[in-house]
Amino acid sequence: MKTKIILALLTAGVLCAGQSALAHHPFAAEYDAEKPVTLTGTLSRMEWVNPHSWIYIDVKQPDGTVQKWTIESSGPGAMSRRGLKKTDFVAGMSLVVKGYAGRLKPAIAIGTVGGPNDGADKQ
Amino acid sequence: MTQTLHLVAVSVFIGGILIVDVRLLGRRSVGESHAAIARSAQRVLFWAGPAVLMTGIPQFTSNALRYYASPVFAFKMGLLAAALVFTVTLRRRVAADGDRMPSWVPRAVGAVSIALWMGVAISGRWIGFSE
Amino acid sequence: MPSILPALEWLEALAWATAIRESNWGYPIMETAHVASIVAFAGLVMVMDLRLVGLAFAQTPLTRIQRPLFRWQMAGFALSGVTGLLLFVVDPLRYYGNVFFRVKLVLLALAGFNALAFHLTIFRTVGRWDEDPLAPTTARLAGAVSLLFWSAIIVSGRLIASNWFD
Repeated sequence: MKTKIILALLTAGVLCAGQSALAHHPFAAEYDAEKPVTLTGTLSRMEWVNPHSWIYIDVKQPDGTVQKWTIESSGPGAMSRRGLKKTDFVAGMSLVVKGYAGRLKPAIAIGTVGGPNDGADKQ
Repeated sequence: MTQTLHLVAVSVFIGGILIVDVRLLGRRSVGESHAAIARSAQRVLFWAGPAVLMTGIPQFTSNALRYYASPVFAFKMGLLAAALVFTVTLRRRVAADGDRMPSWVPRAVGAVSIALWMGVAISGRWIGFSE
Repeated sequence: MPSILPALEWLEALAWATAIRESNWGYPIMETAHVASIVAFAGLVMVMDLRLVGLAFAQTPLTRIQRPLFRWQMAGFALSGVTGLLLFVVDPLRYYGNVFFRVKLVLLALAGFNALAFHLTIFRTVGRWDEDPLAPTTARLAGAVSLLFWSAIIVSGRLIASNWFD
């Protein structure tokens, strides 16, 4: 019985070691929590879908060029709970997105848009 | 990545839980081979349980503020505590002595156990859908 | 070979598929049911595999463990299959192109083939080795393969939701 407990703890230790930031589901594998971004741009397209909505915005760069960003955002349920509706997203509207930049691909981020019900709980 | 291993460990754990609950629910006699099965199931849980914990805790610590603020996570933990207490007290008694009780007792215990443990698993998944 | 893409586009455009895709509750409930039924089904299968491999429940005859489990395994499998099918229809193009989805389907087929082969061959003689704590080598092999496959199925299923290799 003792050996089993020791073995179990060893396995546990091995599994725990070096996990830290990588442990939290694919977020950490795909997005960098050390790279927060705030993007201001015009909405090109918005896919109001499960499990994650997708926001495509054109962000004007200081040198005049336009960078197209893809943002993975909340699903319809979470969006609705924050007071947002599919019809709130109109192509051409100006939008501010706050989130974290991706690791694997350029100009991709995971982020949220401000909603009417925000501020009721802190995040 | 850890989350995928968490799912495998959870499945084995749930298997170890269900294998006893299914027998409690069954019309067949609970006794006979049941003691051996319950003991073996316990061993499965003793191995799968730590694996579940060790793949679960890093998920929490890597984003503790988010989980701490999540009512769904709190619910899951509450349900987990209830499931654990229920399993090591009432269910263990009934699994050992089920034959000497009216038949509705093991069946009720089996049903409650399934509800509690599947509830833990379901609320675990639901954390991802609540923000 | 005719392209399957128009058929997938047609599925995706179905009214009810779109409704689920854009739903507040429908999709989360269905996906949670999918995960929960897989956990239950795979859990029961893997625990049986542990008996087959001789790592657990060795004191009990194999068939005595398996018999009450069978209907629960079938229910779990049925629910996983139905919810899985519905989930696919909700976003068919995305899943069709997803490497982890394809891997998961291949693994499912292989797991099924392994189970079928087991039942048609060594399991036929189970009466002879039912009570042995250590089953015949081919039976143990089938159990080990099953454990591996179902773990891999769970892993690849979870990775479908990631955006890797999109």
